[in-house]
Amino acid sequence: MILKGRAWPTELWDDPWKLPRYRRGARMLAGLSLGALAAAVGVGELGPWLKFADAELAFASAALGLPDEAVDAAWILVKVAAVVAVFVAAPVVIVWWERKISAHMQSRFGPMRTGGFHGWLQTVADGIKLLLKENITPAQADSWVHRLAPAVALVPALVCFAPVSFGQALCAADIDIGTLYVFAMAGVSVMGIMMAGWGSGNKYSLLGGLRSAAQLVSYELPRTFSVVPVIMFAGSLNLTRIVAAQQDYWFGFLPKWFIFYPVVGQLAFVLFLIASVAETNRTPFDIPEAESELVSGFHTEYSGIKFSLFFMAEYGYMLLSCFLLATFFLGGGSAPLPFLKFIPSWAWFFGKSTLLIFCFLWFRWTFPRLRVDRLMDFNWKFLLPWSFANIAFAGLCLLF
Amino acid sequence: MSALVFYSLSAVVLISALGVVLLKNTLHSALLLGLCLAGVAGVFASLGADFLFSSQLLIYVGGIAVLLLFVVMLSGRSSELKLRQVNDQWLAALLICAVTFLGMRRYIFEAGTAVLTASPQPTTAALGKLLLGEYAVPFEAVSLILIAALVGAVVFSKARERKP
Repeated sequence: MILKGRAWPTELWDDPWKLPRYRRGARMLAGLSLGALAAAVGVGELGPWLKFADAELAFASAALGLPDEAVDAAWILVKVAAVVAVFVAAPVVIVWWERKISAHMQSRFGPMRTGGFHGWLQTVADGIKLLLKENITPAQADSWVHRLAPAVALVPALVCFAPVSFGQALCAADIDIGTLYVFAMAGVSVMGIMMAGWGSGNKYSLLGGLRSAAQLVSYELPRTFSVVPVIMFAGSLNLTRIVAAQQDYWFGFLPKWFIFYPVVGQLAFVLFLIASVAETNRTPFDIPEAESELVSGFHTEYSGIKFSLFFMAEYGYMLLSCFLLATFFLGGGSAPLPFLKFIPSWAWFFGKSTLLIFCFLWFRWTFPRLRVDRLMDFNWKFLLPWSFANIAFAGLCLLF
Repeated sequence: MSALVFYSLSAVVLISALGVVLLKNTLHSALLLGLCLAGVAGVFASLGADFLFSSQLLIYVGGIAVLLLFVVMLSGRSSELKLRQVNDQWLAALLICAVTFLGMRRYIFEAGTAVLTASPQPTTAALGKLLLGEYAVPFEAVSLILIAALVGAVVFSKARERKP
Protein backbone atom coordinates (compact mmCIF):
# COMPACT_ATOMS: atom_id res chain seq x y z
CA MET A 1 0.00 0.00 0.00
CA ILE A 2 1.29 3.41 -0.95
CA LEU A 3 -0.32 5.61 1.64
CA LYS A 4 2.54 8.09 2.03
CA GLY A 5 1.56 8.73 5.60
CA ARG A 6 -1.82 10.10 4.65
CA ALA A 7 -5.20 8.87 5.81
CA TRP A 8 -7.47 6.51 3.92
CA PRO A 9 -9.70 6.85 1.86
CA THR A 10 -10.20 10.20 0.16
CA GLU A 11 -6.69 11.63 0.28
CA LEU A 12 -4.83 11.39 -2.98
CA TRP A 13 -2.25 8.74 -3.71
CA ASP A 14 0.14 9.27 -6.56
CA ASP A 15 -1.76 6.63 -8.51
CA PRO A 16 -4.76 4.99 -6.89
CA TRP A 17 -4.98 2.37 -9.63
CA LYS A 18 -1.80 0.79 -8.25
CA LEU A 19 -3.77 -0.32 -5.20
CA PRO A 20 -5.03 -3.90 -5.70
CA ARG A 21 -8.00 -3.15 -3.44
CA TYR A 22 -8.96 -0.15 -5.59
CA ARG A 23 -8.80 -2.20 -8.78
CA ARG A 24 -10.75 -5.04 -7.21
CA GLY A 25 -13.48 -2.60 -6.15
CA ALA A 26 -13.69 -1.04 -9.61
CA ARG A 27 -13.85 -4.49 -11.23
CA MET A 28 -16.61 -5.50 -8.82
CA LEU A 29 -18.64 -2.36 -9.57
CA ALA A 30 -18.26 -2.82 -13.32
CA GLY A 31 -19.18 -6.49 -13.01
CA LEU A 32 -22.26 -5.76 -10.93
CA SER A 33 -23.46 -3.07 -13.34
CA LEU A 34 -22.87 -5.24 -16.38
CA GLY A 35 -24.59 -8.17 -14.68
CA ALA A 36 -27.62 -6.03 -13.81
CA LEU A 37 -27.68 -4.71 -17.39
CA ALA A 38 -27.48 -8.21 -18.86
CA ALA A 39 -30.26 -9.38 -16.58
CA ALA A 40 -32.40 -6.39 -17.62
CA VAL A 41 -31.81 -7.09 -21.33
CA GLY A 42 -32.54 -10.76 -20.74
CA VAL A 43 -35.86 -10.04 -19.03
CA GLY A 44 -36.77 -7.38 -21.61
CA GLU A 45 -39.83 -5.18 -21.46
CA LEU A 46 -42.18 -6.12 -18.63
CA GLY A 47 -45.33 -5.24 -20.61
CA PRO A 48 -45.58 -8.60 -22.48
CA TRP A 49 -44.92 -10.52 -19.25
CA LEU A 50 -47.75 -8.66 -17.56
CA LYS A 51 -50.08 -9.36 -20.47
CA PHE A 52 -49.15 -13.03 -20.24
CA ALA A 53 -49.81 -13.03 -16.48
CA ASP A 54 -53.12 -11.27 -17.02
CA ALA A 55 -54.23 -13.90 -19.53
CA GLU A 56 -53.16 -16.70 -17.19
CA LEU A 57 -55.03 -15.08 -14.28
CA ALA A 58 -58.18 -14.62 -16.36
CA PHE A 59 -57.96 -18.25 -17.47
CA ALA A 60 -57.48 -19.46 -13.89
CA SER A 61 -60.36 -17.40 -12.55
CA ALA A 62 -62.63 -18.59 -15.36
CA ALA A 63 -61.67 -22.19 -14.57
CA LEU A 64 -62.51 -21.60 -10.90
CA GLY A 65 -65.78 -19.87 -11.80
CA LEU A 66 -64.81 -16.58 -10.18
CA PRO A 67 -66.35 -13.29 -11.38
CA ASP A 68 -64.35 -10.89 -13.59
CA GLU A 69 -63.83 -8.56 -10.65
CA ALA A 70 -61.59 -11.17 -9.02
CA VAL A 71 -58.89 -10.63 -11.67
CA ASP A 72 -59.12 -6.85 -11.26
CA ALA A 73 -58.91 -7.16 -7.49
CA ALA A 74 -55.88 -9.46 -7.79
CA TRP A 75 -54.17 -6.96 -10.10
CA ILE A 76 -54.87 -4.09 -7.72
CA LEU A 77 -53.36 -6.13 -4.88
CA VAL A 78 -50.27 -6.93 -6.96
CA LYS A 79 -49.81 -3.28 -7.97
CA VAL A 80 -50.21 -2.03 -4.41
CA ALA A 81 -47.78 -4.68 -3.17
CA ALA A 82 -45.22 -3.72 -5.83
CA VAL A 83 -45.43 0.01 -5.07
CA VAL A 84 -45.26 -0.58 -1.30
CA ALA A 85 -42.28 -2.89 -1.79
CA VAL A 86 -40.39 -0.19 -3.74
CA PHE A 87 -41.39 2.37 -1.12
CA VAL A 88 -40.19 0.27 1.82
CA ALA A 89 -37.08 -1.25 0.25
CA ALA A 90 -35.70 1.91 -1.35
CA PRO A 91 -34.97 3.84 1.89
CA VAL A 92 -33.03 0.83 3.21
CA VAL A 93 -30.67 0.99 0.24
CA ILE A 94 -30.59 4.78 -0.03
CA VAL A 95 -29.79 5.29 3.66
CA TRP A 96 -26.85 2.87 3.43
CA TRP A 97 -25.66 4.56 0.25
CA GLU A 98 -26.05 7.99 1.83
CA ARG A 99 -24.01 6.96 4.86
CA LYS A 100 -21.26 5.58 2.67
CA ILE A 101 -21.18 8.70 0.48
CA SER A 102 -21.17 11.05 3.45
CA ALA A 103 -18.39 9.02 5.04
CA HIS A 104 -16.20 9.08 1.95
CA MET A 105 -16.78 12.81 1.52
CA GLN A 106 -15.60 13.32 5.08
CA SER A 107 -12.60 10.95 4.98
CA ARG A 108 -14.32 8.24 6.99
CA PHE A 109 -15.38 4.67 6.30
CA GLY A 110 -19.03 4.73 7.33
CA PRO A 111 -20.74 1.45 8.26
CA MET A 112 -18.23 -1.40 7.71
CA ARG A 113 -19.15 -4.37 9.90
CA THR A 114 -22.81 -5.42 9.79
CA GLY A 115 -23.37 -7.99 7.07
CA GLY A 116 -19.69 -8.38 6.24
CA PHE A 117 -19.33 -6.51 2.95
CA HIS A 118 -19.00 -2.77 3.68
CA GLY A 119 -21.77 -2.87 6.26
CA TRP A 120 -24.51 -3.50 3.70
CA LEU A 121 -26.89 -4.83 6.37
CA GLN A 122 -26.48 -1.80 8.62
CA THR A 123 -29.79 -0.15 7.65
CA VAL A 124 -31.70 -3.39 8.11
CA ALA A 125 -30.24 -3.71 11.60
CA ASP A 126 -31.14 -0.08 12.29
CA GLY A 127 -34.66 -0.71 11.05
CA ILE A 128 -35.07 -3.66 13.42
CA LYS A 129 -33.68 -1.54 16.25
CA LEU A 130 -36.21 1.23 15.50
CA LEU A 131 -39.05 -1.28 15.42
CA LEU A 132 -38.10 -2.68 18.83
CA LYS A 133 -37.53 0.66 20.53
CA GLU A 134 -39.96 2.03 23.08
CA ASN A 135 -42.62 4.42 21.81
CA ILE A 136 -42.59 7.48 24.00
CA THR A 137 -45.47 9.97 24.12
CA PRO A 138 -44.45 13.05 26.11
CA ALA A 139 -46.64 14.06 29.06
CA GLN A 140 -47.26 17.47 27.47
CA ALA A 141 -48.28 15.98 24.14
CA ASP A 142 -51.66 16.30 22.50
CA SER A 143 -51.92 12.54 22.41
CA TRP A 144 -54.14 11.93 19.35
CA VAL A 145 -52.48 14.58 17.22
CA HIS A 146 -49.08 13.22 18.25
CA ARG A 147 -50.07 9.68 17.34
CA LEU A 148 -51.74 10.47 14.03
CA ALA A 149 -49.06 12.84 12.69
CA PRO A 150 -46.63 10.19 11.31
CA ALA A 151 -49.47 8.51 9.43
CA VAL A 152 -50.69 11.79 7.96
CA ALA A 153 -47.13 12.53 6.80
CA LEU A 154 -46.46 9.05 5.39
CA VAL A 155 -49.68 8.00 3.66
CA PRO A 156 -49.70 10.82 1.05
CA ALA A 157 -46.07 9.99 0.22
CA LEU A 158 -47.07 6.39 -0.44
CA VAL A 159 -50.15 7.32 -2.44
CA CYS A 160 -48.12 9.68 -4.64
CA PHE A 161 -46.39 6.73 -6.33
CA ALA A 162 -49.64 5.50 -7.90
CA PRO A 163 -49.53 7.46 -11.20
CA VAL A 164 -45.74 7.21 -11.73
CA SER A 165 -44.92 5.40 -14.95
CA PHE A 166 -41.98 3.08 -14.27
CA GLY A 167 -41.53 2.15 -17.93
CA GLN A 168 -43.65 1.02 -20.83
CA ALA A 169 -46.99 -0.33 -19.52
CA LEU A 170 -45.70 -0.17 -15.94
CA CYS A 171 -47.98 2.24 -14.17
CA ALA A 172 -50.04 1.39 -11.09
CA ALA A 173 -52.82 3.88 -11.86
CA ASP A 174 -52.77 5.53 -15.28
CA ILE A 175 -54.88 8.56 -14.37
CA ASP A 176 -55.47 11.54 -16.60
CA ILE A 177 -54.55 14.15 -13.97
CA GLY A 178 -51.38 12.38 -12.79
CA THR A 179 -49.16 15.46 -12.37
CA LEU A 180 -51.77 17.45 -10.48
CA TYR A 181 -52.59 14.42 -8.34
CA VAL A 182 -48.96 13.99 -7.26
CA PHE A 183 -48.61 17.65 -6.25
CA ALA A 184 -51.98 17.68 -4.50
CA MET A 185 -51.18 14.59 -2.45
CA ALA A 186 -47.68 15.83 -1.59
CA GLY A 187 -49.30 18.98 -0.22
CA VAL A 188 -51.29 16.97 2.31
CA SER A 189 -48.09 15.83 4.05
CA VAL A 190 -47.59 19.38 5.35
CA MET A 191 -50.57 18.80 7.65
CA GLY A 192 -48.79 15.81 9.17
CA ILE A 193 -45.64 17.82 9.83
CA MET A 194 -47.60 20.64 11.47
CA MET A 195 -49.51 18.10 13.55
CA ALA A 196 -46.20 16.61 14.69
CA GLY A 197 -44.86 20.05 15.59
CA TRP A 198 -47.91 20.95 17.60
CA GLY A 199 -48.77 17.58 19.07
CA SER A 200 -45.36 17.05 20.65
CA GLY A 201 -45.95 19.77 23.23
CA ASN A 202 -42.41 21.08 22.82
CA LYS A 203 -41.46 24.57 21.69
CA TYR A 204 -38.57 23.37 19.52
CA SER A 205 -40.89 20.94 17.78
CA LEU A 206 -43.46 23.66 17.23
CA LEU A 207 -40.83 26.00 15.79
CA GLY A 208 -39.48 23.24 13.58
CA GLY A 209 -42.94 22.27 12.43
CA LEU A 210 -43.88 25.85 11.56
CA ARG A 211 -40.59 26.45 9.74
CA SER A 212 -40.99 23.24 7.85
CA ALA A 213 -44.58 24.00 6.87
CA ALA A 214 -43.65 27.52 5.75
CA GLN A 215 -40.81 26.15 3.64
CA LEU A 216 -42.86 23.34 2.11
CA VAL A 217 -45.81 25.59 1.27
CA SER A 218 -43.51 28.22 -0.28
CA TYR A 219 -41.36 25.87 -2.35
CA GLU A 220 -44.43 24.03 -3.58
CA LEU A 221 -45.24 27.04 -5.77
CA PRO A 222 -42.05 27.21 -7.92
CA ARG A 223 -42.00 23.42 -7.97
CA THR A 224 -45.47 23.25 -9.47
CA PHE A 225 -44.97 26.21 -11.81
CA SER A 226 -41.66 24.88 -13.13
CA VAL A 227 -43.51 21.84 -14.47
CA VAL A 228 -46.07 23.94 -16.34
CA PRO A 229 -43.80 24.25 -19.46
CA VAL A 230 -43.49 20.46 -19.53
CA ILE A 231 -47.26 20.14 -19.40
CA MET A 232 -47.57 22.74 -22.17
CA PHE A 233 -45.13 20.85 -24.41
CA ALA A 234 -46.64 17.46 -23.72
CA GLY A 235 -50.24 18.72 -23.83
CA SER A 236 -51.29 16.40 -21.02
CA LEU A 237 -51.15 15.98 -17.26
CA ASN A 238 -50.88 12.22 -17.64
CA LEU A 239 -47.38 11.01 -16.69
CA THR A 240 -47.48 8.19 -19.24
CA ARG A 241 -48.29 10.66 -22.01
CA ILE A 242 -45.59 13.05 -20.85
CA VAL A 243 -43.11 10.19 -21.27
CA ALA A 244 -44.59 9.27 -24.63
CA ALA A 245 -44.08 12.85 -25.84
CA GLN A 246 -40.32 12.48 -25.30
CA GLN A 247 -39.74 9.26 -27.25
CA ASP A 248 -38.48 10.72 -30.54
CA TYR A 249 -35.09 12.07 -31.59
CA TRP A 250 -34.01 15.33 -33.22
CA PHE A 251 -31.62 14.84 -36.18
CA GLY A 252 -31.71 11.12 -35.39
CA PHE A 253 -29.52 11.30 -32.29
CA LEU A 254 -30.58 14.05 -29.85
CA PRO A 255 -33.46 12.72 -27.72
CA LYS A 256 -36.55 14.93 -27.51
CA TRP A 257 -36.36 15.03 -23.74
CA PHE A 258 -37.75 18.19 -22.21
CA ILE A 259 -34.38 19.02 -20.66
CA PHE A 260 -32.99 19.47 -24.19
CA TYR A 261 -35.57 22.08 -25.17
CA PRO A 262 -33.48 25.25 -25.54
CA VAL A 263 -33.38 27.47 -22.43
CA VAL A 264 -36.87 26.56 -21.21
CA GLY A 265 -36.04 22.94 -20.52
CA GLN A 266 -32.80 23.56 -18.64
CA LEU A 267 -34.31 26.38 -16.59
CA ALA A 268 -37.34 24.27 -15.68
CA PHE A 269 -35.08 21.35 -14.75
CA VAL A 270 -32.89 23.46 -12.45
CA LEU A 271 -35.89 25.14 -10.81
CA PHE A 272 -37.63 21.82 -10.25
CA LEU A 273 -34.44 20.24 -8.90
CA ILE A 274 -33.82 23.05 -6.39
CA ALA A 275 -37.44 23.15 -5.28
CA SER A 276 -37.47 19.35 -4.94
CA VAL A 277 -34.41 19.38 -2.69
CA ALA A 278 -36.19 21.98 -0.56
CA GLU A 279 -39.43 19.99 -0.54
CA THR A 280 -37.63 16.96 0.85
CA ASN A 281 -36.16 19.04 3.72
CA ARG A 282 -32.61 18.14 2.77
CA THR A 283 -29.47 20.25 3.12
CA PRO A 284 -28.97 23.05 2.01
CA PHE A 285 -32.64 23.57 2.84
CA ASP A 286 -32.82 21.59 6.08
CA ILE A 287 -33.67 24.51 8.34
CA PRO A 288 -36.76 22.65 9.67
CA GLU A 289 -34.57 20.05 11.33
CA ALA A 290 -31.38 22.04 11.86
CA GLU A 291 -29.92 19.87 14.61
CA SER A 292 -27.74 22.56 16.09
CA GLU A 293 -30.52 25.06 16.73
CA LEU A 294 -33.77 23.11 16.93
CA VAL A 295 -32.69 19.68 18.23
CA SER A 296 -33.98 18.26 14.92
CA GLY A 297 -37.28 20.09 14.75
CA PHE A 298 -40.68 18.53 14.38
CA HIS A 299 -39.62 14.97 15.11
CA THR A 300 -37.67 15.68 18.31
CA GLU A 301 -40.26 13.96 20.49
CA TYR A 302 -40.73 10.94 18.27
CA SER A 303 -39.03 7.65 18.92
CA GLY A 304 -39.08 4.12 17.59
CA ILE A 305 -41.36 3.27 14.70
CA LYS A 306 -43.10 6.66 14.69
CA PHE A 307 -39.78 8.40 14.06
CA SER A 308 -38.93 5.95 11.32
CA LEU A 309 -42.27 6.64 9.63
CA PHE A 310 -41.25 10.30 9.27
CA PHE A 311 -37.90 9.15 7.99
CA MET A 312 -39.54 6.87 5.43
CA ALA A 313 -41.83 9.68 4.29
CA GLU A 314 -38.79 11.90 3.72
CA TYR A 315 -36.93 9.28 1.74
CA GLY A 316 -40.13 8.40 -0.08
CA TYR A 317 -40.46 11.99 -1.25
CA MET A 318 -36.83 12.02 -2.32
CA LEU A 319 -37.39 8.91 -4.39
CA LEU A 320 -40.57 10.41 -5.82
CA SER A 321 -38.73 13.61 -6.76
CA CYS A 322 -36.12 11.57 -8.62
CA PHE A 323 -38.82 9.59 -10.42
CA LEU A 324 -40.61 12.83 -11.32
CA LEU A 325 -37.40 14.47 -12.56
CA ALA A 326 -36.69 11.43 -14.71
CA THR A 327 -40.27 11.44 -16.00
CA PHE A 328 -40.64 15.15 -16.69
CA PHE A 329 -37.20 16.03 -18.01
CA LEU A 330 -35.17 12.92 -18.82
CA GLY A 331 -37.68 11.08 -20.95
CA GLY A 332 -38.77 8.49 -18.39
CA GLY A 333 -37.98 5.12 -19.86
CA SER A 334 -36.77 6.27 -23.28
CA ALA A 335 -33.24 5.50 -24.43
CA PRO A 336 -30.77 8.40 -24.85
CA LEU A 337 -29.61 7.13 -28.25
CA PRO A 338 -31.61 5.19 -30.84
CA PHE A 339 -29.28 2.17 -30.93
CA LEU A 340 -29.61 1.71 -27.14
CA LYS A 341 -33.26 0.76 -27.40
CA PHE A 342 -32.44 -2.91 -26.76
CA ILE A 343 -32.20 -2.07 -23.04
CA PRO A 344 -35.76 -2.17 -21.65
CA SER A 345 -37.48 1.04 -20.59
CA TRP A 346 -37.79 0.18 -16.91
CA ALA A 347 -34.01 -0.29 -16.69
CA TRP A 348 -33.48 3.17 -18.22
CA PHE A 349 -35.99 4.63 -15.82
CA PHE A 350 -34.37 3.15 -12.72
CA GLY A 351 -30.89 3.99 -14.04
CA LYS A 352 -31.80 7.65 -14.48
CA SER A 353 -33.48 7.73 -11.10
CA THR A 354 -30.42 6.21 -9.43
CA LEU A 355 -28.21 8.88 -10.98
CA LEU A 356 -30.57 11.58 -9.70
CA ILE A 357 -30.63 10.03 -6.23
CA PHE A 358 -26.84 10.23 -6.25
CA CYS A 359 -27.16 13.96 -7.07
CA PHE A 360 -29.48 14.42 -4.09
CA LEU A 361 -27.00 12.70 -1.77
CA TRP A 362 -24.13 14.65 -3.29
CA PHE A 363 -25.89 18.00 -2.69
CA ARG A 364 -26.61 17.12 0.90
CA TRP A 365 -22.96 16.58 1.76
CA THR A 366 -21.63 19.47 -0.36
CA PHE A 367 -23.65 22.61 0.34
CA PRO A 368 -23.85 24.45 3.67
CA ARG A 369 -27.25 25.21 5.20
CA LEU A 370 -29.10 28.40 4.21
CA ARG A 371 -30.27 30.83 6.88
CA VAL A 372 -34.03 30.84 7.32
CA ASP A 373 -34.65 34.33 5.88
CA ARG A 374 -32.26 33.75 2.96
CA LEU A 375 -34.17 30.55 2.29
CA MET A 376 -37.45 32.45 1.92
CA ASP A 377 -35.81 35.26 -0.07
CA PHE A 378 -34.32 32.74 -2.46
CA ASN A 379 -37.72 31.16 -3.04
CA TRP A 380 -39.89 34.25 -3.40
CA LYS A 381 -37.42 36.56 -5.12
CA PHE A 382 -35.55 34.13 -7.35
CA LEU A 383 -37.26 30.79 -7.96
CA LEU A 384 -40.85 32.00 -8.24
CA PRO A 385 -40.26 34.92 -10.68
CA TRP A 386 -38.08 32.74 -12.87
CA SER A 387 -40.64 29.97 -12.90
CA PHE A 388 -43.24 32.50 -14.07
CA ALA A 389 -40.84 33.81 -16.71
CA ASN A 390 -40.21 30.26 -17.80
CA ILE A 391 -43.89 29.73 -18.50
CA ALA A 392 -43.77 32.79 -20.76
CA PHE A 393 -40.63 31.41 -22.50
CA ALA A 394 -42.46 28.14 -23.04
CA GLY A 395 -45.34 30.05 -24.61
CA LEU A 396 -42.88 31.74 -27.00
CA CYS A 397 -41.31 28.35 -27.79
CA LEU A 398 -44.70 26.89 -28.64
CA LEU A 399 -45.61 29.94 -30.74
CA PHE A 400 -42.59 29.67 -33.04
CA MET B 1 -69.58 -0.36 -4.49
CA SER B 2 -69.44 3.28 -5.64
CA ALA B 3 -72.52 3.98 -3.51
CA LEU B 4 -70.70 2.57 -0.48
CA VAL B 5 -67.66 4.77 -1.18
CA PHE B 6 -69.87 7.81 -1.70
CA TYR B 7 -71.85 7.39 1.49
CA SER B 8 -68.88 6.60 3.70
CA LEU B 9 -67.08 9.69 2.37
CA SER B 10 -70.22 11.74 3.03
CA ALA B 11 -70.25 10.41 6.59
CA VAL B 12 -66.60 11.49 7.01
CA VAL B 13 -67.47 14.96 5.72
CA LEU B 14 -70.51 15.38 7.97
CA ILE B 15 -68.94 14.02 11.15
CA SER B 16 -65.75 16.06 10.76
CA ALA B 17 -67.83 19.17 9.97
CA LEU B 18 -69.75 18.65 13.21
CA GLY B 19 -66.44 18.27 15.00
CA VAL B 20 -65.21 21.56 13.55
CA VAL B 21 -68.15 23.37 15.13
CA LEU B 22 -68.49 21.49 18.41
CA LEU B 23 -64.94 20.77 19.61
CA LYS B 24 -63.48 23.02 22.29
CA ASN B 25 -59.90 22.94 21.06
CA THR B 26 -59.49 25.34 18.13
CA LEU B 27 -56.54 23.41 16.75
CA HIS B 28 -58.54 20.17 16.67
CA SER B 29 -61.28 22.07 14.87
CA ALA B 30 -58.77 23.31 12.30
CA LEU B 31 -57.41 19.78 11.76
CA LEU B 32 -60.91 18.38 11.37
CA LEU B 33 -61.65 21.14 8.86
CA GLY B 34 -58.73 19.78 6.85
CA LEU B 35 -60.22 16.29 7.07
CA CYS B 36 -63.63 17.66 6.07
CA LEU B 37 -62.18 19.39 2.99
CA ALA B 38 -60.26 16.25 2.05
CA GLY B 39 -63.51 14.30 2.41
CA VAL B 40 -65.22 16.73 0.01
CA ALA B 41 -62.35 16.07 -2.42
CA GLY B 42 -63.03 12.36 -2.02
CA VAL B 43 -66.74 12.91 -2.77
CA PHE B 44 -65.71 14.76 -5.97
CA ALA B 45 -63.50 11.82 -6.94
CA SER B 46 -66.27 9.32 -6.28
CA LEU B 47 -68.55 11.36 -8.57
CA GLY B 48 -65.96 11.27 -11.35
CA ALA B 49 -64.82 14.92 -11.18
CA ASP B 50 -61.08 14.17 -11.30
CA PHE B 51 -59.78 17.69 -11.89
CA LEU B 52 -61.98 19.11 -9.15
CA PHE B 53 -60.72 16.39 -6.78
CA SER B 54 -57.08 17.32 -7.30
CA SER B 55 -57.58 21.06 -7.17
CA GLN B 56 -59.70 20.73 -4.04
CA LEU B 57 -56.86 18.83 -2.34
CA LEU B 58 -54.19 21.18 -3.66
CA ILE B 59 -55.93 24.43 -2.75
CA TYR B 60 -58.13 23.64 0.23
CA VAL B 61 -56.18 20.96 2.09
CA GLY B 62 -52.63 21.87 1.07
CA GLY B 63 -53.28 25.63 1.13
CA ILE B 64 -56.21 26.90 3.13
CA ALA B 65 -56.27 24.32 5.91
CA VAL B 66 -52.52 24.77 6.38
CA LEU B 67 -52.99 28.55 6.48
CA LEU B 68 -55.66 28.13 9.16
CA LEU B 69 -53.30 25.94 11.17
CA PHE B 70 -50.71 28.70 10.89
CA VAL B 71 -53.21 31.25 12.19
CA VAL B 72 -54.17 29.05 15.13
CA MET B 73 -50.58 28.22 16.03
CA LEU B 74 -49.12 31.71 15.65
CA SER B 75 -51.90 33.97 16.94
CA GLY B 76 -53.93 31.67 19.15
CA ARG B 77 -54.39 32.24 22.87
CA SER B 78 -54.37 29.42 25.37
CA SER B 79 -58.00 30.14 26.24
CA GLU B 80 -58.97 29.06 22.74
CA LEU B 81 -57.88 25.53 23.53
CA LYS B 82 -60.28 25.02 26.43
CA LEU B 83 -63.28 27.33 26.06
CA ARG B 84 -66.58 26.46 24.44
CA GLN B 85 -66.63 27.75 20.85
CA VAL B 86 -70.39 28.39 20.88
CA ASN B 87 -72.13 31.38 22.45
CA ASP B 88 -75.72 31.83 23.67
CA GLN B 89 -77.12 32.36 20.19
CA TRP B 90 -76.62 28.75 19.14
CA LEU B 91 -80.36 28.05 19.00
CA ALA B 92 -80.97 30.94 16.62
CA ALA B 93 -78.05 29.79 14.44
CA LEU B 94 -79.45 26.27 14.37
CA LEU B 95 -82.85 27.60 13.30
CA ILE B 96 -81.31 29.66 10.49
CA CYS B 97 -79.40 26.58 9.32
CA ALA B 98 -82.57 24.50 9.39
CA VAL B 99 -84.50 27.09 7.35
CA THR B 100 -81.68 27.32 4.79
CA PHE B 101 -81.60 23.53 4.55
CA LEU B 102 -85.36 23.38 4.01
CA GLY B 103 -85.06 26.04 1.32
CA MET B 104 -82.49 23.96 -0.52
CA ARG B 105 -84.22 20.61 -0.12
CA ARG B 106 -85.66 20.71 -3.63
CA TYR B 107 -82.20 20.81 -5.18
CA ILE B 108 -80.88 18.24 -2.75
CA PHE B 109 -83.58 15.75 -3.66
CA GLU B 110 -83.21 16.49 -7.35
CA ALA B 111 -79.54 15.62 -7.13
CA GLY B 112 -80.23 12.66 -4.85
CA THR B 113 -79.51 10.15 -7.59
CA ALA B 114 -76.05 11.57 -8.24
CA VAL B 115 -74.14 8.41 -7.30
CA LEU B 116 -71.93 7.56 -10.23
CA THR B 117 -72.88 4.48 -12.22
CA ALA B 118 -70.95 4.82 -15.49
CA SER B 119 -67.15 4.79 -15.51
CA PRO B 120 -65.81 8.36 -15.18
CA GLN B 121 -64.32 10.28 -18.10
CA PRO B 122 -61.36 12.65 -17.74
CA THR B 123 -62.64 16.22 -17.46
CA THR B 124 -59.45 18.29 -17.56
CA ALA B 125 -59.26 18.96 -21.30
CA ALA B 126 -62.91 19.97 -21.53
CA LEU B 127 -62.58 22.24 -18.50
CA GLY B 128 -59.51 23.92 -19.99
CA LYS B 129 -61.27 24.53 -23.30
CA LEU B 130 -64.25 26.08 -21.53
CA LEU B 131 -62.13 28.24 -19.23
CA LEU B 132 -59.98 29.65 -22.03
CA GLY B 133 -62.74 29.73 -24.63
CA GLU B 134 -66.35 30.37 -23.73
CA TYR B 135 -65.70 31.57 -20.16
CA ALA B 136 -62.39 33.38 -20.77
CA VAL B 137 -63.69 36.83 -19.85
CA PRO B 138 -65.39 35.84 -16.54
CA PHE B 139 -62.32 33.73 -15.69
CA GLU B 140 -59.96 36.67 -16.20
CA ALA B 141 -62.33 39.00 -14.33
CA VAL B 142 -62.34 36.66 -11.34
CA SER B 143 -58.54 36.51 -11.30
CA LEU B 144 -58.37 40.33 -11.50
CA ILE B 145 -60.74 40.64 -8.53
CA LEU B 146 -58.67 38.16 -6.55
CA ILE B 147 -55.47 40.08 -7.25
CA ALA B 148 -57.19 43.31 -6.24
CA ALA B 149 -58.30 41.67 -2.99
CA LEU B 150 -54.73 40.45 -2.34
CA VAL B 151 -53.21 43.87 -2.93
CA GLY B 152 -55.91 45.45 -0.79
CA ALA B 153 -55.19 43.08 2.08
CA VAL B 154 -51.48 43.91 1.92
CA VAL B 155 -52.20 47.68 1.85
CA PHE B 156 -54.57 47.53 4.81
CA SER B 157 -52.24 45.45 6.95
CA LYS B 158 -49.38 47.86 6.14
CA ALA B 159 -51.50 50.90 7.06
CA ARG B 160 -52.38 49.44 10.45
CA GLU B 161 -48.73 48.61 11.13
CA ARG B 162 -47.65 52.27 11.02
CA LYS B 163 -49.77 53.28 14.00
CA PRO B 164 -48.08 52.50 17.30
